[in-house]
Amino acid sequence: MGWALRRIGVSMLLVWIVASIVFVAIRLVPGDPAELLLQQGGAAPDPAIVAQLHEQLGLDQPFLNQYIDSFRRLVRFDLGNSLEDDSPVAGEIMQRLPRTLELIGAAALIALLVGLPTGLVAGMAPRGVMDRVASWIASLGLATPVFVVGTLFVLVFAQWLRIAPAGGYVPFARAPGQHLLLLAMPATAIALGLAATVFRMTRAAVLDVSLRDYVRTARAKGLRRARVIIHHVLRNALMPVVTVVALNLGTLLGGTVLVEYVFNYPGLSGLLVEAVNTRDYPMVEGIVLVISILFVTLNLLVDLIYAALDPRVRYA
Amino acid sequence: MKLRPVPVVAVGAIILAAIAAPLFPLPSPVAMDVAHRLAGPSSAHWLGQDEFGRDVLARLLFGARISLSVAFSSAALACVGGIVLGLVGGFQGKLAEILAVRSVDIVLCFPPLLLALLVVTLLGPGATTLVPVLTIVYLPGFVRVVYAGVLQVRQQEYVEAMRVLGASRPRIMLQTILPNILGPILVQFSLAAASGVVLESGLSFLGLGVVPPAPSWGLMIGAARATMTQAPLLLLWPCLALTLTILSMNALCDALRDAADPHAAPRQVRRRIVDLLAPGLQPTSDAALLVRDLTIEIDTPGGTIRPVRGVTLEARSGETLAIVGESGSGKSLTGLAIMGLLPQAARVVNGSAWVDGTDTLRLAEPALARLRGGRMAMIFQDPLSSLNPVHRIGAQITEAIRAHRAARNVWSETVGLLRRVGIPDPEQRAASYPHELSGGMRQRAMIAMAIANNPRLLIADEPTTALDVTIQAQVLELLAALKSERGMSVVLITHSLPVVAETADRVVVMYAGEVVEQGRAADVFAHPLHPYTAALLRSAPRSDGSMSEPIPGIVPLPYALPPGCVFAPRCSHAAPECLAARPVLTMPINDRATRCIRWDVLERVPEVMA
Repeated sequence: MGWALRRIGVSMLLVWIVASIVFVAIRLVPGDPAELLLQQGGAAPDPAIVAQLHEQLGLDQPFLNQYIDSFRRLVRFDLGNSLEDDSPVAGEIMQRLPRTLELIGAAALIALLVGLPTGLVAGMAPRGVMDRVASWIASLGLATPVFVVGTLFVLVFAQWLRIAPAGGYVPFARAPGQHLLLLAMPATAIALGLAATVFRMTRAAVLDVSLRDYVRTARAKGLRRARVIIHHVLRNALMPVVTVVALNLGTLLGGTVLVEYVFNYPGLSGLLVEAVNTRDYPMVEGIVLVISILFVTLNLLVDLIYAALDPRVRYA
Repeated sequence: MKLRPVPVVAVGAIILAAIAAPLFPLPSPVAMDVAHRLAGPSSAHWLGQDEFGRDVLARLLFGARISLSVAFSSAALACVGGIVLGLVGGFQGKLAEILAVRSVDIVLCFPPLLLALLVVTLLGPGATTLVPVLTIVYLPGFVRVVYAGVLQVRQQEYVEAMRVLGASRPRIMLQTILPNILGPILVQFSLAAASGVVLESGLSFLGLGVVPPAPSWGLMIGAARATMTQAPLLLLWPCLALTLTILSMNALCDALRDAADPHAAPRQVRRRIVDLLAPGLQPTSDAALLVRDLTIEIDTPGGTIRPVRGVTLEARSGETLAIVGESGSGKSLTGLAIMGLLPQAARVVNGSAWVDGTDTLRLAEPALARLRGGRMAMIFQDPLSSLNPVHRIGAQITEAIRAHRAARNVWSETVGLLRRVGIPDPEQRAASYPHELSGGMRQRAMIAMAIANNPRLLIADEPTTALDVTIQAQVLELLAALKSERGMSVVLITHSLPVVAETADRVVVMYAGEVVEQGRAADVFAHPLHPYTAALLRSAPRSDGSMSEPIPGIVPLPYALPPGCVFAPRCSHAAPECLAARPVLTMPINDRATRCIRWDVLERVPEVMA
């Protein structure tokens, strides 16, 4: 238990460091963010408007005050207001975040359903036909960037075959069928690379675990092959796979940007790209912060799951 | 380091094409020709023209230049930074470790693309922004690799030696550590470069990377989206270029990784030749185990070796047979072969092993599985690694029972077994995980598992080697008690003569893959008929404290066995005829066998008997 508490403490420390870095980074921008923002038109900005924006962003305050103030607001989950339409950043994020999480969840599910069994089969019979074919497909899956897959999906399924819409989003409550159809293409596009990773990890882990002494013991007991695989190989091989999937999910939190862009899917990452383009600082700061916190939390969960799967970890 | 050639050639060709792009007689990649926008392939434009009439082939080649230079320069910068930070962190004490190694891990709190977007927001898009972004993203990977390498090498003797010799720290780092971690760094570099291409194209695709009109594959794919129904090829070319480049770079990464780690590529399993032979007839004998002419082959990177050659031995019912030999003598492989548990690279090429009326070397896996843990069982040297870390002790024993019979009270039977092997508090211990038990308790649990189904034959492979001396005796006593109580035969594989003297009825001495002597333990000890046995006896630690004599020389490698007697190079009695031909196992005296052709001479040398 002490181990878990310590691990949670470290995670909270990381979140604090991340929030500080984001805070400092935004204020380290070469030049005045307010001026940069107002300069977009090309003409020199009106000093009065710059001053007004300064006040709105709190940039007229001393640095330390801004820092303390931003944390005070963070605790209340107040991330400031968007510069674009003055709506609260936190509200906007809460609306978009579930969509991105749903997309990632669907992708992970597909990837596990495809990658785990194929990896297991390939790992049990390395160099066999199944292994060779699957390994080749996996190499291709890993080598094709997600926006290439996405764009080709749109071309083939939406433009040529016309069996799916090119993109967009409908809430589940309004049209469940359409919602799932719109989710399928981006989720599959993400799942392709992830499934390849899951396949490779599972295969490698199964190969590795098969050589362990305790698998030899299991065979020495006279267990049937299926029982050796499921009880002794898979359980132990699952751990590195769990880690990799979870870490990849974290990476995907920021990596859905490309897919959301291709499929015009109104998720969190799409919002981030918009905010980057319009230099909406509070919005960028808020989104980066939320995603990083989720990322750190996910890593924490991985460690806790790891401890649940492997009793030895709890004592480390 | 051996590298697969195909990925090297592919990546080399791509890099060459990118470098040589300006030398090809191609139109400028930015020269517009709006009149011929979206024109198909022609003699002037092999791959056609894009939405501004620019030459697609030229843009592809020049796009490679930008992609690769961004990817490689950021990977190189991250590599240099990582080496410096990793070395400093590994060598300059705790504070440096925190500052140089742990702090970099903070980068890992940001998903890479997110970090890139954050920096692009701050610095604005462009190739010059991409390089620092990617450098930061890849830095932790390099730092970790270098730091891990330093930790591994730091304690090794030659580094210590150099420090004692007064070499300065930077010199130690450069001369000893870097060459050792070169492999992993190279792998990391190729990984970073490959993912650099992915990230660059992704950001450019979003319009946040390379700024138009400079050509970039990501930009080209993004632009072609608008016209993809009219000109799908315009979309396909950059997709293809990008995918093929990443595919080759990934393949190169794998090739580098395999080359850096020779264990990674498993060898193919060949069919056992013995399966093809006609099944042998069971010899008439009351032996619990009868091995005839067992020969094992192993494929190694250095060629095929035969670590076990023509081994013949017999374990009689209710007796303990010890197989003795130095490591590398083939004794453990013999045990594994009988159980049908040889590692994948090894195979039986000749011989038979009769257990309870069946030749286990000729059994198919399902029948073999019924025999294993049933009529024959095995325990291993390291009880910790041999027990599954994620299952409770009790569960691992009930599993062994259930695999062979439908018992009613499996749990109470399990507890009874644990009690029988001398584990205190068996009810609680059954619910423990292997790591919660001491070494001796673990081996007792292994024994409980092995005897769960009353085997006729128990093979114990160095069962006490990993244990404390005091525990060793207890475990041996337990085995002896179980043997007489259950009427099992025990095959005890060991390198320790005291263990043999204490427990064995008969003994087989193995050397370099061959049986060199066998007989009743008492006879062999009193009266060795092979100089190797005699030397082994002299080299054993003595109870009276007088000096033991180590055997001169080393065990010959299976790649380079001497002609004639394999022990001749280390033998003080070797004569010219010993080198002429490989001696065979003979039975000069009743119930004794030796492979020495000069056994009678040896017998007359008095010093051997001392």
